[in-house]
Amino acid sequence: MDFSLSAEQEMVRSTAHSLFEGQCPAGLLQAAWDDKRAAAPLWDEHLYQWVELAGADLVDLVLFMGEHGRAAAPGVFFASLQAAQLAAPTGLAAAGSATVAVAGENGLWIPHDGNARHHVPSAGDADEILWVAGSLAAPTMALVPTASATLTEVDQLDRLRPMYTVELAGPPRGIPVDPTAFAHAVDRALVTTAAELIGTGRWLLETSVEYACEREQFGQPIGSFQGLQWMLVDAALLLERADAAVTYAAMCVDADDTDRHRAVHVAKAEAGLAARSVARTAMQVHAGTGYTFEHGLHFRLRRAYAGDAFMGPSGYHLDRLGQLLFSG
Amino acid sequence: MKLARSADDEAFRKRLAEFLEEHCPPEARLSNDFIASSEAGDDGVVSIPCWARKWQACLFDHGWMVPGYPPELGGCNATPSQTLVYFEEMTGRGIPRSLHFVGYAIAGPSLLEFGSDEQRRLAPAAIRGDTIWCAGMSEPGAGSDLASLSTRAERQGDEYVVNGQKVWTSYAMLASKCLCYVRTDPDAPRHEGISALIIDMDTPGLEVRPLRDISGHAEFAEVFFTDVRVPAANLLGELNRGWQITIGALAHERSGLWVEGVAICQRSIDDIVAMARRRGLDDDPVIRRRVAELYARVRGLRALGYKGFASFAQGGSAPEHSLMKVATSELQQELVELALDLQGASLAVTDPGRSEEGGRWQRSFIKVLAATIGGGTSEVQRNVIAQRVLGLPRGS
Ligand SMILES: Cc1cc2nc3c(=O)[nH]c(=O)nc-3n(C[C@H](O)[C@H](O)[C@H](O)COP(=O)(O)OP(=O)(O)OC[C@H]3O[C@@H](n4cnc5c(N)ncnc54)[C@H](O)[C@@H]3O)c2cc1C
Repeated sequence: MDFSLSAEQEMVRSTAHSLFEGQCPAGLLQAAWDDKRAAAPLWDEHLYQWVELAGADLVDLVLFMGEHGRAAAPGVFFASLQAAQLAAPTGLAAAGSATVAVAGENGLWIPHDGNARHHVPSAGDADEILWVAGSLAAPTMALVPTASATLTEVDQLDRLRPMYTVELAGPPRGIPVDPTAFAHAVDRALVTTAAELIGTGRWLLETSVEYACEREQFGQPIGSFQGLQWMLVDAALLLERADAAVTYAAMCVDADDTDRHRAVHVAKAEAGLAARSVARTAMQVHAGTGYTFEHGLHFRLRRAYAGDAFMGPSGYHLDRLGQLLFSG
Repeated sequence: MKLARSADDEAFRKRLAEFLEEHCPPEARLSNDFIASSEAGDDGVVSIPCWARKWQACLFDHGWMVPGYPPELGGCNATPSQTLVYFEEMTGRGIPRSLHFVGYAIAGPSLLEFGSDEQRRLAPAAIRGDTIWCAGMSEPGAGSDLASLSTRAERQGDEYVVNGQKVWTSYAMLASKCLCYVRTDPDAPRHEGISALIIDMDTPGLEVRPLRDISGHAEFAEVFFTDVRVPAANLLGELNRGWQITIGALAHERSGLWVEGVAICQRSIDDIVAMARRRGLDDDPVIRRRVAELYARVRGLRALGYKGFASFAQGGSAPEHSLMKVATSELQQELVELALDLQGASLAVTDPGRSEEGGRWQRSFIKVLAATIGGGTSEVQRNVIAQRVLGLPRGS
């Protein structure tokens, strides 16, 4: 197992880092919270071209998504990327922005028939919808224009990535997808989501450590109090472990390794739990300052919880893992 | 030691139930966890709805606002154990006393304990909610380390001239009075140069800038003081002895809040059990164990509350308050986490029509993050417990 980055991978990471630092500043999050349209230029001018990563090695995509999560980037990129990855086995490709309509009310990406799909990210900003139907054994997919669907926004904690219920009057006839290829694509989507959670957790941890060094009370930096140090250390332990688990899962999926089923559930569960926990620690460390809207902390806190929920929360993935472990 | 409630306490419970039956408005019965009951305007600034003002006054007039107080202060001379009965009944039914706690829980008790005769006359209106109060303690540079506060008050003739800034001041934009801590002797040791002033919020030079919290609503504010002139008669307690009052004020805040905290936890457990049933999770052994674990903690705290309450009920600065504050605030957060987990992939959904109990738990989640911060952070409470309850030595 080699976790070191190649020169190209280091490029992906640092390019992504400066891209988000430059194009997705704190002010954009505030603006997009008040009005989703504020996020449009980020997609129109920068992120659309990165959807190509849907075809790249998952380890590379994980690096990009870490930076995306760090920035708590708003807008349709996440949904478009997920649509492109899931559609990859079929050759279907959206011309512009897109989203994925696969989940039922339970949020799980298990294909099923019927006229409604739930937990559909950023549908209001997507040009097309990848409509998934059928079953796990015989999935089908079709791309439909968003204009042909009825969208209902369902408010949730993370307003920077709105969720929708999507209904079609007459579901389209989809192309059959090889179930193994579908399962592989869903694994990619899970690891992508987990990688974003790690990036969000990373921002929360780093920002908290910085704040603990700067903020003084009782004549010393609050970071010098052992009570606070231990909280931050615990957060770092959680996050580092989860981060490595996500990279490991990405390598497993890329290599089509037999451990990949377990590794993917480990990654999504660990990333969700870590991001949620680190978010709570960050709030506690920032105290009054972190509880104000103007501080960017709550955007990540919201993303951490919403990201854990997306494609099934950590509890679900642990249950699945339990089944895998005990079924031989 | 005995289990049965005394006949007096039972009679008390019955009287309260009858009162609520007759007087409690429907709006007050609907509110879960006492949240989302205040209203916010387009600018996000919260206000206290009319029913809540009337309800608080009604409670006061019938002796049910702070039961331990005499009737002229909105109580009925209830015993400590009756006060516990009161909290359990009120919280069990999800009925709030008031949507702004500073007046009855901080300002009122401080005025009664430290005020001149004239100042004590402000207490009934503070407790009845006729006067909305805010507590000006924290400053940008003085949060946990309250004693480092630097808002200055200089004596000029028979006035104090106040300059400085407070922050995170709850309800400052609604308040007409502020219990404000200021530095009156910059040369004295930190704890010995602080005084408490009663400041009218409409005094010239005082500016309130609403500050949005992470819910997006402005329930607290920044308060700026530029040459604000306060009559010397508005000094509460002795000059440079304000630190004693801050300790009292925090204790008052805690003693009320933790008892309500235990009752809120109990109610959360009941609601979580109901939600698990609704969602068909009641047979899941993992869920059962998690609920049972938290139930056990709630019951333990409740018992501890009954055990300890009589001895540290009536204000004072008992360090045991810190213990209960830490325990109940952290328990509330864990209960909310469990409640979110029960909602599966919908755990982040806030949409009233699409989430359990109209998004109540998601709102609670945002709200209870402040429980381990406001009124003294969990870490600082742990320091107090370490040193003053366990008797551990102070660090450097
Ligand atoms: C919703 C809300 C309402 C509030 N309402 C009011 C109000 O009405 N009036 C008012 O005056 N204030 C109010 N506050 C402010 C509140 O009292 C402060 O936020 C609190 O005292 C902590 O101060 P701080 O935010 O400056 O955090 P800091 O003191 O800067 O603490 C930052 C972190 O360092 C930790 N820390 C600090 N010292 C130590 C130590 N010695 N050992 C270990 N860890 C330590 C803290 O626990 C925290 O995790 C409110 C705050 C909130 C969130």
